[in-house]
Amino acid sequence: MFWQILKGSLVRQRQKMFMVAITIALGVSLTTAMLNVMLDVGDKVNRELKAYGANITVTPRSASILHDFYGVEAGGAGQYLQESELGKLKTIFWANNIVDFSPILETRAIIGQTASEITLVGTWFNHRLDLPTGETVETGIKQLKSWWSVEGNWVQESSQGAMLGSMAASRLGLQIGDEIDLVIPGSDRTAKVKIEGVFNSGGPEDEEIFVPLGLAQKLTNLPGKVGKIEVSAITTPENELARKAAHDPKSLSLKEWETWYCTAYVGAIAYQIEEAITGAHAKPVRQVAESEGAILQKTQLLMLLITVLSLIGSTLGISNLLTASVMERNREVGLLKALGADDTEVLVLTLSQILFTGIAGGFAGYFLGLGFAQIIGQTVFSAAVAAKPMVIPIVMVLVVLVTLTGSLPAIRMLVSLRPAEVLHGR
Amino acid sequence: MTKYTMYSKMIVHSLLRRRSRMFVALLAVAIGATVLSGLVTIYYDVPRQMGREFRSYGANLILIPAGDSQVVAETDVARATELLPQEQLVGIASYLYGRIKVNEQPIMVAGIHFQEVKKVSPFWQIRGNWPEEQAGDILIGAEVAELLKVEPGQSVTLAAGESERKAKVAGIVRTGGTEENYIFTDLPMLQQMLNKEGQVSVTQVSVMATEAELTTFTKTAGDKVPAVTPRLVKRVTQSEEMVLGKLQALVYLVTIVVLLLTLICVATTMMAVVAERRKEIGLKKALGAENRSIVLEFLGEGLMLGLLGGLLGTVLGFFFAQSVSVNVFGRMISFQPLIACMALIVSIMVTGVACLIPVKTATSVEPAIVLRGE
Repeated sequence: MFWQILKGSLVRQRQKMFMVAITIALGVSLTTAMLNVMLDVGDKVNRELKAYGANITVTPRSASILHDFYGVEAGGAGQYLQESELGKLKTIFWANNIVDFSPILETRAIIGQTASEITLVGTWFNHRLDLPTGETVETGIKQLKSWWSVEGNWVQESSQGAMLGSMAASRLGLQIGDEIDLVIPGSDRTAKVKIEGVFNSGGPEDEEIFVPLGLAQKLTNLPGKVGKIEVSAITTPENELARKAAHDPKSLSLKEWETWYCTAYVGAIAYQIEEAITGAHAKPVRQVAESEGAILQKTQLLMLLITVLSLIGSTLGISNLLTASVMERNREVGLLKALGADDTEVLVLTLSQILFTGIAGGFAGYFLGLGFAQIIGQTVFSAAVAAKPMVIPIVMVLVVLVTLTGSLPAIRMLVSLRPAEVLHGR
Repeated sequence: MTKYTMYSKMIVHSLLRRRSRMFVALLAVAIGATVLSGLVTIYYDVPRQMGREFRSYGANLILIPAGDSQVVAETDVARATELLPQEQLVGIASYLYGRIKVNEQPIMVAGIHFQEVKKVSPFWQIRGNWPEEQAGDILIGAEVAELLKVEPGQSVTLAAGESERKAKVAGIVRTGGTEENYIFTDLPMLQQMLNKEGQVSVTQVSVMATEAELTTFTKTAGDKVPAVTPRLVKRVTQSEEMVLGKLQALVYLVTIVVLLLTLICVATTMMAVVAERRKEIGLKKALGAENRSIVLEFLGEGLMLGLLGGLLGTVLGFFFAQSVSVNVFGRMISFQPLIACMALIVSIMVTGVACLIPVKTATSVEPAIVLRGE
């Protein structure tokens, strides 16, 4: 009998029930979309913030001070990093967080035609690197320095091309397509390169010339060596533990040390890079690392608050409609009561009707919401928003809670309903 | 005249007598308006507030000496920075570079105003303390500290040419950049030691402005003050433009989705509330009311509800946006009359339209059928 009444009411009132289901579906889709976007926004924004460039620089342990202070180019092992070891960056614990990296080998050179001295930088522009794991990655300053505005082209790895900084280009009167001779002062090593592009970086690089790493190694007679590695990694915002560790990793207790090592703090990643590459000294670039954390936290908090608002909005919207739809059924309930149904029976009947509609609507709404999340993800970040499984239980609990609390005022009314009054009409 | 009194009487009474149901409808409209005004206010305010956060990346504009000159007069720098929008300025930090001997070792030195650098480069990690202005204390880069084996609180001897003085190390700077190879003294003190009174090598400026605004500034300042060459710090300006654009697009899309769904919710609730009054419509028709007057009456009710709910919602929405701004950015926002008006108009329109749809279907039904029920 119960099922018959339930089925009957659902089928006969399908238009009204359909409306309730639609509203619930809309509310649920909103909730699903917002929760998914909120949970994923940190990761997405973090990737965007990679536009600020390298947040870790790796230098040889012993060379840093000598060179920076006295300009001494002391030769010999230990002063340089090995190019062959670069692939090891992708083998550390947080390898997946390392987005881009690029080696740097600097030297002074003289441009033959103008007899002026310039800083020559050997680097990877867009290099395909085979990893020890068998994978290949494409990395280099094209990805790392996304803010450069380049006239002409990026240099091809294999070519004898060069890219000249905009200030140096205007100072020396050189243009794209010019061929120049590079001479290392005090040696007979020379090379002929063609300027393929002129870049404006808005930084000190504008006074420098960039050539493929292999060419720079030949000119400096340092085969297989690099002077510095710039690394761009996705990191977790700094906290107390990270600051304590940054000061001195040895001051941590064993448990703290484990947490620190297994969290993607910029310090922890730098530490792991030092472990992976021999004779390396990895330093977090504070300017990038600290600011990332601040912006990330603000964005997440903002999204959280917007999510809460839309949750409250959809909750109230759903419960509103439920109240309205239950209230208008007072005649039916009046009749049921007049026929001898007691309060519990009426309640169970009404609630199961609502829950049934709610679940159907919620189911449809969840998938609709996933769609919305994808639209947001694709339009804003051109990447899919991961559908987090933890959203499903949250949404389920919410649907049940909302439909039940939403029908509370209506239920109160139903219980206190006097059949005679309703049936007679006002 | 009497016609209008009757009309308004009918509307007011129908709202008052059916209090509980009208309350439900009012609540729905109010929620819609809250979401609308709250989110639009946030959308409008986010770029401004986020722009401030992005200033933690440090200077986005530097002023360097024009031509081959190594230094520029502080007065010229001041004349150039006066051209910037003053209320958007975060900090102006001038640097004078030089080489001095610290404990008999040649070290690179920079003279700075500590308070300004703290504003422009909030990412500097200091072990120890920032020195007091004019106290003569110094900051020392982490690499230098390692080289000289000094700790915060110790004293070092600074020597440049003839002049020699002792200075206390207030703190050790860690930035991960070239700053770690420098020591930092008070600017006037270094100017005196190097005999470069009133001169600086470079000035870093942190200002809340878009790349386009900064580019125009570099042009005008370069023309008006020929002694300095302003340059954009591309890494910061360009990236900021990009990330901020994405963030704004994110809030924009989220706002659109939330608004769309909320408005549909409001509309369905209104439709449900009106649809149950089919009997009333039938009765009115049986008594001889024209379709037009019935539609007008319901429209009047709907507009009234929209106005009340919209007002309530606009106020609530403003408080919501306010609390978001205070919680996330720690700053107040100003009331935007335009957004309030818009929220009000949209909520009135949505309510009106949502009322009309069920009324239209109800009026097209024969009164006798409606009145008999089912």
